[in-house]
Amino acid sequence: MSSPLLSVSGLTKRYRRGGKTIAAVDNVSFHIEPGETLALAGPSGSGKSTIARLVLRLVQPDAGDIQFKGEDFLALGGATLRARRARLQMVFQDPLAAFNPRATVARVLDDPLRIHGIASRSERPRRIAALLERVGLSPDLAPRAIHEISGGQRQRVAIARAIATKPSLIVLDEAVSALDVSVRGQILRLLLDLQREERIAYLFISHDLGVVRAIAHRLVILDAGTIAESGDARTVIDAPQSAIGKALVVAAPKLDRTGP
Amino acid sequence: MSPLRRFLRMPEALAGTAILAVLFAMALAAPLIFPGDPQAIAGPALLPPFQDWSLPLGTDRLGRDVLAELFHGARTSLAVGLAAAAAALAVGAIVGTLAGFAGGLVDDVLMRITDAFQTVPSFLLALAFVSAVGPSLGVVVVAIALGAWTGPARVARAEVLSIRERDFVAGARVIGMHPLEIAFREILPNALPPVLALSSVIVAAAILTEAALSFLGLGDPNRVTWGGMIAEGRAVLRTAPFLSIIPGVALVLTVLGVYLAGEGVIETTAVRRSLS
Repeated sequence: MSSPLLSVSGLTKRYRRGGKTIAAVDNVSFHIEPGETLALAGPSGSGKSTIARLVLRLVQPDAGDIQFKGEDFLALGGATLRARRARLQMVFQDPLAAFNPRATVARVLDDPLRIHGIASRSERPRRIAALLERVGLSPDLAPRAIHEISGGQRQRVAIARAIATKPSLIVLDEAVSALDVSVRGQILRLLLDLQREERIAYLFISHDLGVVRAIAHRLVILDAGTIAESGDARTVIDAPQSAIGKALVVAAPKLDRTGP
Repeated sequence: MSPLRRFLRMPEALAGTAILAVLFAMALAAPLIFPGDPQAIAGPALLPPFQDWSLPLGTDRLGRDVLAELFHGARTSLAVGLAAAAAALAVGAIVGTLAGFAGGLVDDVLMRITDAFQTVPSFLLALAFVSAVGPSLGVVVVAIALGAWTGPARVARAEVLSIRERDFVAGARVIGMHPLEIAFREILPNALPPVLALSSVIVAAAILTEAALSFLGLGDPNRVTWGGMIAEGRAVLRTAPFLSIIPGVALVLTVLGVYLAGEGVIETTAVRRSLS
């Protein structure tokens, strides 16, 4: 068996608030294989988003180990870390907040191509058009400002930015939660197509088990910063063992109608 | 309603703009209407205004044309005021952005330096600097900027502190952007509007500081300044008060114009920001 793409062990992050220390993430371990989708689910405050930010080195963990592509990801810094970030991308929940309010679609997609030296200046407009078409948008959107396009289009632009550097893993932090139901289905289909064609692995963070069931291979359910249970996504959702897993399944009533 | 039309509906903003327009016209037209040295003798000494229509505002103690001096003085006032304010805003925005974005030790060091500059009265600082380095236009600009950059630095830092926690900054880090590029290309432009709102106050203060320095004889000696004209007229204040009053009124109108026009711009952009 080949080594996993991402392996996280003993990850811990504590915050001090008013003299008390709260563990937002407490001794969490998981791994992701290439081309696989691992879902992190749990109620608000269970540490899902903190894990996303820890994996992306946006915050520093207090303890634990992150191996990405067989490399100690926590030991990287400076230019090396910035270069490695090309392989590990993220899509945020609120597609409007995730972009500089002054940016245009073209600039948002130009940045990763420029920073990682993927395309020369003269080549970039063509690459940007290709990226927009790849996520099902018209290349005519390129000169538009980010705030001028719809929420669904914006999330497609966010996905285009994430795949611009050909990453092996994309962290999707509630990436479809802010979208309305019809757009959500389209974005999920796009993510599945991208995964099939480019063998991208996803760390899919969501509180919606209906969506998790549709996209994830394996599922980790978190509660108060610790892992409550984990396993094959369908198995866990169909027969949750932990109290919090049962509560989450009950809270997703549409599962009854979309079941197998 | 477009920002321009909203601006045009504010009488005080219009008045300020009109004053500034006249002033800029004076500054630009000075070498055309009054070619040659404004400090050259043009007629009899201490000619009162409205006596000789070739010298409408009269002459000073040395027989220099007051109107020509007024026009050429507008050049100095505006140039120094705008240059000093631009320098102060640029330095303040850069220092504030670095402090707010870097945090930790960098933030502490930069903000203590800012404190140090803020505790010294800015006019004394300018005075000391010009006295030490010697009066010239560039030195006066630096001297004034030295006391004016702390306000913009604090505002920029506060703004950057809130912006750097936003998702789009995290997004810029995720795509591997260099921290300096994040600070100056992603954060600074978004932190700028409240900093620029200070500009009218800073320009007005810079013009007054320049006048005060010139009044004390620390302006560029090769240039006519309104402050210098007032100082010149002080010796004959009883017999020829117009020599001090005319540049004094010009100064008051300039500061008023800068302030009113600046407030108008802030008001219109503020409304536009809250609407969007």
